[in-house]
Amino acid sequence: MAADPDEELVRRVGAGDPAAVQTLVARKLPRILALAVRMLGDAAEAEDVAQETFVRIWRHASGWRYGNARFDTWVHRVTLNLCYDRLRRRREWVTDEVPDVADPAPLPDAHPGEEDHRVKQALQGIAPRQREAIILVYYQEMSNIEAAATLQISVDALESLLARGRRSLQTILTRDDADE
Amino acid sequence: MDAKRFAALAAAYGGDLRRWPEAERMAGTIFAASEAGEAILKHAGTLDARLDSYRVDAPGKALHGSIQQAAGRHLIQRRRQRFWWLGLGLAGIGLAGAVAGLALVTVVTPEVQPDHYVLDANVTAFGDTGPDRDTIEEDL
Repeated sequence: MAADPDEELVRRVGAGDPAAVQTLVARKLPRILALAVRMLGDAAEAEDVAQETFVRIWRHASGWRYGNARFDTWVHRVTLNLCYDRLRRRREWVTDEVPDVADPAPLPDAHPGEEDHRVKQALQGIAPRQREAIILVYYQEMSNIEAAATLQISVDALESLLARGRRSLQTILTRDDADE
Repeated sequence: MDAKRFAALAAAYGGDLRRWPEAERMAGTIFAASEAGEAILKHAGTLDARLDSYRVDAPGKALHGSIQQAAGRHLIQRRRQRFWWLGLGLAGIGLAGAVAGLALVTVVTPEVQPDHYVLDANVTAFGDTGPDRDTIEEDL
């Protein structure tokens, strides 16, 4: 395994170095927030997830040992788990029958007709596992090996999720184009 | 690399070869120069372009600030905990020392002499100062 670029920084955070804390926040917050926003489709919830992720980072930094996984992989895993908790809670709040298909209505902060909001809705319309894979490889720019490690699956399984996810997105977006 | 594998990779990773697995990038680049490769990448690139349009705003100052504050609180709390454990450790060492000292004193100190011996008026630190038994016998 290649050296972890975050190892030294995390060690300093664990030792209580305030400058290292600032550097770590500057380095990781944009990635964590972007991941949560795209997973949840809700900026406010994503900010909560980002804060919770950092609480876990502060709690575990002093005991962090390089070897099991890269720090960035662990951070992504923590963020995704927190996102899944929220997605589960959303489902639990739906007291009646859960719809099989995502609600096609625009999200509260969506501006109909804008391409980025169409993509945002389309991402929310595919299976969460496929969404995770696409976000990690496409938006978080992880290598196939890193993404597979984060999702705790094989590279073949990752490729399958990616291909199915992209196909589903293409179908939703093409349907949207036809509806316009 | 054959067309089937090339298409499978494009379907999974998209039309930008920089996202492809490192081990297959070189072979992919060669195949991409072919007519079939070009068409496959063009098709995959259409979805890539749409995905590119979905940008996320950078974190605001407020979020940055609240995370930094939480970190500060956590660091202070941890420092306090460290002092607390240090104090507890020192107290433990002190207690262990006291117990060890007590045990040592108990083991090393000679057994206390019976009361009747200690209270014998003829016994001093230099021995028994009472009348010598032999002398007494001679006197008799």
